[in-house]
Amino acid sequence: MNDVYDRLVGLLTRGFGIEPDEVSTETTFNELEMDSLALVELGLAAQDEFGVKIEDDDIRSSDSIGQAAEAIAAKAVSIG
Amino acid sequence: MTRAAVISGLGSWLPPRIVTNDDLARELDTDDAWIRSRTGIGQRHTADDRTATSDLAVEAGRRALKSAGRESADCVVVATTTPDRPCPATAPLVATGLNLGTVPAFDVAAVCTGFLYGLGVAGGLIAAGTVDSVLVVGAEKFSSILDPQDRSTRAIFGDGAGAVLLTAGDPDAPGALGPLDLASDGTGSDLITVPSGGSREPFTARTGPGYDPYFRMVGKTVFRSAVERMAASALDVAHRAGWSVDEVDLLVPHQANLRIMHAVADRMKLPRERCAVHLDRVGNTAAAAVPLALADAVERGRLRPGDRVVMTAFGGGITWGACAVRWPDVTPI
Repeated sequence: MNDVYDRLVGLLTRGFGIEPDEVSTETTFNELEMDSLALVELGLAAQDEFGVKIEDDDIRSSDSIGQAAEAIAAKAVSIG
Repeated sequence: MTRAAVISGLGSWLPPRIVTNDDLARELDTDDAWIRSRTGIGQRHTADDRTATSDLAVEAGRRALKSAGRESADCVVVATTTPDRPCPATAPLVATGLNLGTVPAFDVAAVCTGFLYGLGVAGGLIAAGTVDSVLVVGAEKFSSILDPQDRSTRAIFGDGAGAVLLTAGDPDAPGALGPLDLASDGTGSDLITVPSGGSREPFTARTGPGYDPYFRMVGKTVFRSAVERMAASALDVAHRAGWSVDEVDLLVPHQANLRIMHAVADRMKLPRERCAVHLDRVGNTAAAAVPLALADAVERGRLRPGDRVVMTAFGGGITWGACAVRWPDVTPI
């Protein structure tokens, strides 16, 4: 889970101009001012990074980064 | 010897009237920064009330013929989402407008993928020996189907037309259409649609509140699907052409949205600089977008003879596709 969170923050840093020290597991995507298209872009990037299928509603703007990491980790376990 | 369809002329036409983001902001709840950050679009062209799709197509077709140094073609294929009328097709009018006599002429309906479908059909007619040349036109007066109150579609779409002349030639000649991928998935037919006015919900049956004659799009789902489909299709044709991603000189994607285009390049592991961008000046012109972007890329020195180019598109249907071409020495007009 921590590993997934760190890699997710890595995607946010590389693709969305977000500094790692700006965010915590509690930070929501709303707070990062990421619009709905940005969440789709993040989902696509995460799909490549973690090798799991991520649907449109898996990452919502009201979710925190920690919640998104948990959702991705759960998928990774279920296919792993 | 096998006959190939070779690109021997390229024409483009945009109606002169420009609508800037600031113009839209005066009518709708939007602004320049909002439109640019979400779409990458700064302005679009819109045709006036007297101009129909066939008028734009005739102008682009005339220019493609001139670019090829020819006065005629054996066949006309028009890819459009916005025909002059639901019946008949627009292409016969275009053929007549170009003084091509009684040549075969028909429309192809694959929304934003229409131009690539048109290339596929035209390439087949030439390869089979049915005709020796085909004018393939992508033309749209997309403004004619937009909901005046819908800020998302009003900001994205523009009018215009682009055309290529395909002529029979050697498969190894520069400009010969290379590997082509075309696909569709009708389970996504509701994603990009004009809900009413067809046989499912005819104009005469219901004109109440449920009747919707305007273009609608489910943005988020389309975004994801467009990125996945275009990237996979572009990689497929590049692979079949024997090119590594590094060897692709220019990707000419359907000009849907700058963020979609960049996401396609990222997914292909292609540097974003090798993605042709025209929509900042013309918006998304649907079936006209790929030929217009090709002409723009040549005019700006981004696409040179001998370059390996991959075109890819995604549109309503849903449909998608890609085509690989070694770029010929043509001057767009």
